[in-house]
Amino acid sequence: MLSNLFKWTASSSTRSMSTTVQAVIKPYPFSKTAIIHSEPYVPPPAPLVQGKGLMPYLQKNLTTPEKQTMLRELFGRHSTKRIYPGSIVGVMLEHAPFTFTGVVLAIRRRGIDTSMVLRNVIQRTGVEMQLFVNSPHVKNIKVIQKPPKGRMKRAKLYYLRYSPEKMGALAGSKKGTIV
Amino acid sequence: MLRLWALKHKTSLISKCLHNSSSLTAPTTATSSALTSANAPLPTKWTPESIRTGLIARKRGMTVLWNDQGARVPVTVLQLENCQVTANIVTIRQDKSEYHAVQVAASDKPLKRTTRQMQGHFRKAKVNPKRILKEFSITPDAHVPVGTTFSAIHFVPGQYVDVIAKSIGKGFQGGMKRWNFKGLRASHGVSISHRSAGATGAHQDPGRIWPGKKMAARMGGQRITTQNLAVVRVDSSLNLIYLRGAVPGVDDAQVMVRDAKKLTAVGCHNQAKGLYEKVLPKGVDDLPFPAGTLEMAKTLPSIVEAPAYRRSPFVPQE
Repeated sequence: MLSNLFKWTASSSTRSMSTTVQAVIKPYPFSKTAIIHSEPYVPPPAPLVQGKGLMPYLQKNLTTPEKQTMLRELFGRHSTKRIYPGSIVGVMLEHAPFTFTGVVLAIRRRGIDTSMVLRNVIQRTGVEMQLFVNSPHVKNIKVIQKPPKGRMKRAKLYYLRYSPEKMGALAGSKKGTIV
Repeated sequence: MLRLWALKHKTSLISKCLHNSSSLTAPTTATSSALTSANAPLPTKWTPESIRTGLIARKRGMTVLWNDQGARVPVTVLQLENCQVTANIVTIRQDKSEYHAVQVAASDKPLKRTTRQMQGHFRKAKVNPKRILKEFSITPDAHVPVGTTFSAIHFVPGQYVDVIAKSIGKGFQGGMKRWNFKGLRASHGVSISHRSAGATGAHQDPGRIWPGKKMAARMGGQRITTQNLAVVRVDSSLNLIYLRGAVPGVDDAQVMVRDAKKLTAVGCHNQAKGLYEKVLPKGVDDLPFPAGTLEMAKTLPSIVEAPAYRRSPFVPQE
């Protein structure tokens, strides 16, 4: 056990030394306040440099793995856990209002630019929020209630803006918030 | 506005920092034989009066980035495809003023599909044959050696650029789409001409249609300049430039990118006025001069991004 610990610390120290050598940031003299991202570990393959398959590669690499799983599971067309329009969804945000629950009126699928519109009535005022899934402010998304009978008969439920009775019927008695 | 033709009196710079490689037979140069290649070292520091060369890139598409404050920025991705210098052009006009330019070529092309004339031109510059060849006019101190390969590091995140490209062709279009005409009413007796232009002139005076009358014709497919697009991110490993906003043209089209003319002119005037803080945009301290090359990119970080130079819109104001 002790020998394992000793081995672990020795390898970690050498590993940390190698990472410090790799993590040397080259100076950028043209802008003092520019953000310098970490260098890619491997140079990109030649077809990408020629432009073949560049945009799908960027769609994958400009997002974090957590966001990619969120996009794939909640907004992928063939996912079992996908969000349907008409479901009630709660999100946790990093800026005010920090949590927002609402009915999904519309889902706009654009790869990493995917967004959804949530509608709720707060203190007798209808409030809608368009939330971009890939935004760093969106911490997590949770489905609170699925739509009645599995799915609505429309992809975009903008008619709910003018019929509060249908909104109420959708919400039912369940006024859940995510905890 | 900073005008390049106003360099009539700056003849002293020519003999010092010019390396003219375009030959006597090149049709663009008038009296290039008088100028010899210079052995003097090139000035390598950007000044507010200098105008750098631009690059030729390919528009790859649009995507979206979220900046450090979490704000969404729609971006266009441009990629440099082996963009190299093929010639330095100096022309003396009849009124003794000089025209200086850098000829840039991009996108390699198979040798057998290049004409003999162009093969000779590229052989002289010692570069692969290319699909597109364009000139960028510069000040005399911004010449770049022939054969230099450019990198995306030429642009600094935070600066502004102009993009020139051929817009998407719309075909033959009517007045409503082409000129924003209002058309006619949908009902109340209008017969068959709901989208027509209506009247095209007066009566017996002038008794004709003025030249230049806005009418239906082919729309789009023209050279368009979009000014003052901010450079959001630069990636020299894939030679990508991310610009905030939209760029004319279809995906994979060739576009010319250069420093924003109007903003650099304003910066030059601010320098003359003594407002040294307003010469370059916020956050930009210097620009690679005369150009950002592949060799320079190896010494600099690969992926550089500009932060949002404003207060966060997500933090409520007091």
